[in-house]
Amino acid sequence: MPAESNTETGEVATPAGDGTGETGTPVPDTESIDDEGFVIGSGRSGVVRQLGHDDFDPVGTLVLIAIYMVIVGAMWIFMYFVEFLGGDLTVIG
Amino acid sequence: MATFVDRYPEEAKVVQATLVVSFISLGIGAFFGLIQALHRTNVLRVIDSVDYYTVLTGHGVLLALWFTIFFLVGLFTWAIVKGFDRPVPDIRLTWAWVGLMTTGAVLATTAILAGFVPEIPMSADVLYTFYAPLQAHPVFYIGTAMFIVGTWIAGADWFLAYRGWRQDNPDERIPLQAFMVLTTMIMWFVSTLGVAVSVVVFLIPWSLGIIDTVNPLLTRTLFWYFGHPVVYFWLMPAYLLWYTVLPKLAGGRLFSDPLARVVFVLFVLLSTPVGIHHQYLDPGIAEGFKFIAMTNTMFLLLPSLLTAFTVVASVEHGARQRGGEGYLRWLGALPWRDPAFAGMALAGLMFAAGGFSGMINAGMNINYLVHNTLWVPGHFHMTVGTAVALTMMAGTYWLLPQLTGKPVYSRPIGLLQVITWFVGMVFMSNAMHRGGLLGIPRRTAEPQYQNFDFVAAVGSIGEIRMQIALGGVLLFVSVVIFLFNVAATWADDRVDTPVDDTIPEPLSSSSGAPLVLDNLALWTGIAVVLVILAYTLPLAGIISDAGLFGGSRGFSVAFSLEWLVDATVAAVTNVSLDSLAGVAPVDAVVDSLQEVSR
Repeated sequence: MPAESNTETGEVATPAGDGTGETGTPVPDTESIDDEGFVIGSGRSGVVRQLGHDDFDPVGTLVLIAIYMVIVGAMWIFMYFVEFLGGDLTVIG
Repeated sequence: MATFVDRYPEEAKVVQATLVVSFISLGIGAFFGLIQALHRTNVLRVIDSVDYYTVLTGHGVLLALWFTIFFLVGLFTWAIVKGFDRPVPDIRLTWAWVGLMTTGAVLATTAILAGFVPEIPMSADVLYTFYAPLQAHPVFYIGTAMFIVGTWIAGADWFLAYRGWRQDNPDERIPLQAFMVLTTMIMWFVSTLGVAVSVVVFLIPWSLGIIDTVNPLLTRTLFWYFGHPVVYFWLMPAYLLWYTVLPKLAGGRLFSDPLARVVFVLFVLLSTPVGIHHQYLDPGIAEGFKFIAMTNTMFLLLPSLLTAFTVVASVEHGARQRGGEGYLRWLGALPWRDPAFAGMALAGLMFAAGGFSGMINAGMNINYLVHNTLWVPGHFHMTVGTAVALTMMAGTYWLLPQLTGKPVYSRPIGLLQVITWFVGMVFMSNAMHRGGLLGIPRRTAEPQYQNFDFVAAVGSIGEIRMQIALGGVLLFVSVVIFLFNVAATWADDRVDTPVDDTIPEPLSSSSGAPLVLDNLALWTGIAVVLVILAYTLPLAGIISDAGLFGGSRGFSVAFSLEWLVDATVAAVTNVSLDSLAGVAPVDAVVDSLQEVSR
């Protein structure tokens, strides 16, 4: 499914592919330009749907952050062994 | 379709110029890094160990100051012009600070490199942390001072641009990218005061022989007053790219504009009153002040954790728009073949790991375990060396086409480059962290000792050394590939639409952000107050202990301050108790002051 063109306010503007050449001497190179007029790989590609603020539920972010917190917690416990059981206590104050 | 260079050709030239200086510094600094990695692991020693410290200074200064900050000023100029959608106020002023910064950097670099030539009576083997008692040639300090003044003028240039925009748009919210630039520069103005005083008042007169001695602890403290905020100065351009560009590259939109503003405000407030956490092992600073610095530092985790949420959520939004599903399968829908996206995402991943080792550094007691060991370079090669450096290199693949009108020479080579960097850093930094836990010191040409062997619980010292050497080689190869790709891009021909440079609106826009977030004067005021609270007493103590210029008892500050502190404590105690009892607190203060004065 090709990328939808944007109609929402503030969305990515759909660029014109013809190149207006306002300044300088841009060289048209049709072979390496994608459907939207960008050099292949540099444009936005692969967007198949638009998700607004209320449609988006960042549950994947929650999963990733939970994994990170588990790792940090485990490292924290590990540090207890490295620091306090591996040598004498460090006294401050 | 017109891109940045078509709309603002003069500004594009400025940004290109700063990037050129930045990338030349990157090339030289990375070469020094290769020499170090091979030297201290005893794989290949092409230099004398005495020269190791010249190489180390060059590596630190060229990468941590010139590469990062020249990239920053270029990126910020782009962000200001693009954000306000108007040219800089006066292009001559802009070129003036570029010239001043470059001249300063060249002078300081010359002083460092002269250390290789015994015939030249000039050297600056003072490392990137250039405090006393190590002394450099005056040219190094003067060059550094010029560089910093250049950044101040750059900041003034951007604030002038803001003023011009504000006159035309009195009721508009500050565009997000410009907001990020302005808040970062407020932090920079506040924090560079320390290093400016250190260099101008103490180090330059001392290196010129005008004064005989300095107070080393004072110059150290003033350096670290600047030395921790500078890490956020490196990081903020990366955050700017993560917040505003990475979501777009992922195919999505920034999750929340207000949250991004909150994060930058928190950095303005908290970046500076924490520098003493670099000095946990310094005698001459009371433990209580170190504890305050630790507490402030732990608060600094907050904006970074906010960033982790916001940026990952924005990237996830992109993945979902690209058809991603599931709890984790959406990660596969991201554009991993795009070097700009892949580089920034990998940099963010490495930053998560660097965040953990940073928490270890920040803890007062745990810091004792790793202080001055190889753990610390392991940490900052993950943060500035990858989160910042890799983001800047990856960002270049998206930014350079806008600045030149030319497409990236090779995107597959770019992808190879960012992955090489990531893999190289995984080898090098994990080995550095482990080596640090075993007690291997940092800043040492030959960390091998007679009648003593480091003992590794897992793996071996030889294996750790080989990982560091291999990692160093991979990182250098990555830089060579990067510089080749960038140079080839510059040499290419211009095309119509080199890159999609539009940045979509955030999901939650700035209209929902509290107005107070844009009150820059308020945040500046609070930041200054926090700095005064955190630093007045430690600095007074340091000066009263050994004098402003060292070598003598300076002022009797300690006596008078004790009096002041005692009086305040007594008064506050009485006020709170008396208020409960309904007694006039003013009388209590007067009484207690009278008691103290007796």
